[in-house]
Amino acid sequence: MPRHRGMSRKHREWLAAALFLLPDVIGLIVFLGIPMVLSLSLGFFEVDGFGTYAFVGFDNYQKMFNDPLFLKSLRVTLIYVVVLVPALYCTGLALALLLKQDLPFIGLLRGMFFLPHVISLVVIGLLWKFMLIDRVGIVNKFLSRIGIDPQSWLGNPDYALGTLLVITVWFLMGYYMVLFLAGLQEIPTEYYDAARIDGARPWQTFRDITLPLLKPTSFFVLLVSTVAAVAGAQGFDLVYIMTKGGPANATSVLIFYIYQQAFQFGHYGYAAAMASFMVLMLLILTGILFVVTKGGRFDFD
Amino acid sequence: MDQTRSLKRMANSGVNRRSVLKTTVAAGATALAMPYFYSRTAAQDPLKFWQFYAPGGDVATQSSWFEDMVASWNEQNEVQIELEYIPSSDYIGGSKLSTAFAANEGPDIFIISPGDFLRYYNGDVLQDLTPFMEQEAIDDFYPDVIATRAVDNKIYGLPMEVEPMAFYYGLDAWEDAGLTADDVPQSWEDLLGVAETLTNDERFGLLFETAPGYYQNFTWYPFLWQGGGEIVNEDGKTSGMNSEGGIQALQFWKDSIDRGVSPRQLLGSGGGDPVANMVSGFCAIQNVGIWAISELRENAPDFRYDVFKLPLPPNGTYTTDLGGWAFVANSKGQDPETAAQFCVWALGSMSEDSIQRGVSWCTEAKSDMAPRASVQEKATASGAFDEGAMKKFAEEIFPGGRAEPRVPPEVYKAVSDAIQACQLNAADPAQAAETAATQIEGFLATYDGAPIL
Repeated sequence: MPRHRGMSRKHREWLAAALFLLPDVIGLIVFLGIPMVLSLSLGFFEVDGFGTYAFVGFDNYQKMFNDPLFLKSLRVTLIYVVVLVPALYCTGLALALLLKQDLPFIGLLRGMFFLPHVISLVVIGLLWKFMLIDRVGIVNKFLSRIGIDPQSWLGNPDYALGTLLVITVWFLMGYYMVLFLAGLQEIPTEYYDAARIDGARPWQTFRDITLPLLKPTSFFVLLVSTVAAVAGAQGFDLVYIMTKGGPANATSVLIFYIYQQAFQFGHYGYAAAMASFMVLMLLILTGILFVVTKGGRFDFD
Repeated sequence: MDQTRSLKRMANSGVNRRSVLKTTVAAGATALAMPYFYSRTAAQDPLKFWQFYAPGGDVATQSSWFEDMVASWNEQNEVQIELEYIPSSDYIGGSKLSTAFAANEGPDIFIISPGDFLRYYNGDVLQDLTPFMEQEAIDDFYPDVIATRAVDNKIYGLPMEVEPMAFYYGLDAWEDAGLTADDVPQSWEDLLGVAETLTNDERFGLLFETAPGYYQNFTWYPFLWQGGGEIVNEDGKTSGMNSEGGIQALQFWKDSIDRGVSPRQLLGSGGGDPVANMVSGFCAIQNVGIWAISELRENAPDFRYDVFKLPLPPNGTYTTDLGGWAFVANSKGQDPETAAQFCVWALGSMSEDSIQRGVSWCTEAKSDMAPRASVQEKATASGAFDEGAMKKFAEEIFPGGRAEPRVPPEVYKAVSDAIQACQLNAADPAQAAETAATQIEGFLATYDGAPIL
C-alpha cells in the first residue's frame, strides 16, 4: 500500500492546535510549571538561603509533623478556612440579593460595598489596627457606650483570629457580591414571574429557583474563596500588617508560618516542604469540590 | 518535505527524547546561572550599599550623613559606592535582604543588627574586616560591643552606634497623677505600682513591646539578665530560660497585662515609637531605647519628658540591653575587599575623619552612645552628654549594660514564644520557660555554627 505523502487531516489539525496552544503552554511551563517543580524538589533539600543545598530526603516532611508550630498554624488555617468560606458565601449572596433590587442609587450602593476591595490591604490593616486599639480605639469607645467592656481585639488570642476574619469578610464580601450579582442576572425573570403567579413565598422562590440556578456561580465562589483562604494574599497581608502572627501565634496561618520559616529564619527547604503540603491540601479540597459538584457541570446545562 | 522521513532522520541522527531533555536541562541551568555570571563580570559597577536611611530617608540629618559619607568616599576612590534605600519595614523583618542573598544578588555592603549576625555569618557571606584595621582602632571599640560582631578574634561587622534601653515618661502625666521625682521606681514592684497610679480610662501606665519579633526579644532580655537568667548558658549546651531569673522576667511582663496597666496592642510602629504611644497620651511610661531622644527632638520638640534606668527585681543586678546596627561587607559580592575597606574607612579607622563621622552620627543624626572610646570621648567633649536625657544615659543607664545577644532564629523563636505565651496568653511562666529551655537545648545539641553570645 502506498504511503501517504504529508500528514493526514487529523494530524495537521493536531499540529495547528498544538501551535496555537504553544505560546500559552510555554508561558505556563516557564512561569508556573518549572517553579512548581523546583519548589516541590526544594522540599527534599536543606537550603540555607546562601547557596548551600543538602539532600535530606523526607526529613523536612518528618520535621513538619513533629513541629508544634506547624500543627498550630495548620489548626489556625483550618478554622480560618472553615469560617471564612461559608461567611463569604453567605455575605456575598445576601448582599447580592439585597442589591439586585431596583433601588434608587443602586449603582452607588453597589460601589460602596465593593469599595474596600480597591483599597490597599496595607492601608486597611493599619486603619483597622488604629480603630481597634485597646481601650481608646473608636471601636472600643463605641462598644463601651452600648455597655460592652473594652477588649483588646487584636491583642487577645481569644479574639484576634475572629477579628481578622471579620475584617477579611468585610474586605472581600463586595467582590463576591459582584460575582453573585452577575450570576443572579443570568437567571431568566420568567421563572420568578411564574413563581409569583403560582403564589410562591420569597423563601420558596429562593430555595427552588435562585439557589439551584446559581449553582455554577456558587461553585466558582466556593472554589475561589477556598483557594484564597488557604493560600491567598489577603490573609497573609492582614496578618503581616496587623498581628505578625501573634498574639502567641493565635493568627499564625500556614502561609504566614511558611513565610517566616523561609524569609525570616532562612529555612527555604522546610518552607518549601510545608508549601508543597499546603498545595496538596488545596488539591484535595478542590478535588472534593469537583466530585461533589460532578466536575463543575450542572444538570440544567 | 516529507515530515515522517525528516523526523526519522532526526531520530537516526541521535536526537532522541533523552538528548532533548539533556539540552533543555543544560539551557535551563545556564539561564538560571546567568545573573551570577552577570554580577561577576560587571566589576566596574558601583558597589551597592543597602540600608534604611538614605537616599531620601525619613530623617533628613540621617539621610545626609550617609550621602555625605558616600560622596566623600567616591571622591577619593576609583571604585564607586551607591546607596540603596530599603524602607525599614521591608528591611527589618521583611524579605528583601534574605531573598537577595538567596538569589545570589545580595548587596556588597549592608547593615545588620546582632539579632541577624549569626544567620549571615553561618551563611558564610560576611567578609573579615580585621586585615584592613589597625590594632589601635580594634582596641578603640568597646570589647563588649565588638564581641557580638566577632568570631575567633576576627571582626565581621563595625557597629555604628550603641543603643541602651531605658524607661521614658511624660512629665505632664506624671505630675497630673501627683507623682514627684521621688516616685521614680527602683524595683519592678514599684514600677507596676506607679503604672497603676498613672493608668486611667484613657491611658495605660506602662508600655512594653507586644508584637512578636526580634525587637520584642531584645527589649525583654535585660529583665531576664537582671535576675541572673541566660538564654544560653556559658557551656553553650544548656539554657537558663527556666532559671528563677527567666521565670520571674516572664512573670513580670505577664503581671503588667494582668494588672491592666499595659496594653496588648500598640500604636504607630510599636514599642520603639515614642511619638505614637507616649506623646499621643496612649501610655505614660514607655520602655524604649536612647534613639527616642532624637525622635522626640525631631517630631515632638515641645513634649516634656524624663528617663530612668531599668528598675530591679528582688536581689537583682542592674543591666540593660545595648542594641545598635553595624556595617558589614558581603564576602560573595563583586568586590569584597573594597567593600570591607569602605566599612573600615567609614567607621573603623583612627583617622580624624572616621572618628568625627562617628561623633556626628551619634550626636547630630541620632542620639546614641558611641561604640568606640575615641568617638565617645570626642562626643562628650563636644557637650553632647552634658544635660537632660543624654546625660542620664551616659552616666546612669549605659554603665553596666550588655550588648544585644546574637542568637540563631531557632533560639529567638523559642524565647519569643515564651514571652508571647506569658504576656498575652496567660500561660504559666514556669511552664513556658521550661518549654523554651527544652527547645533551645534540643537545638543546641546539633548546632555547630559560631558561638551564641
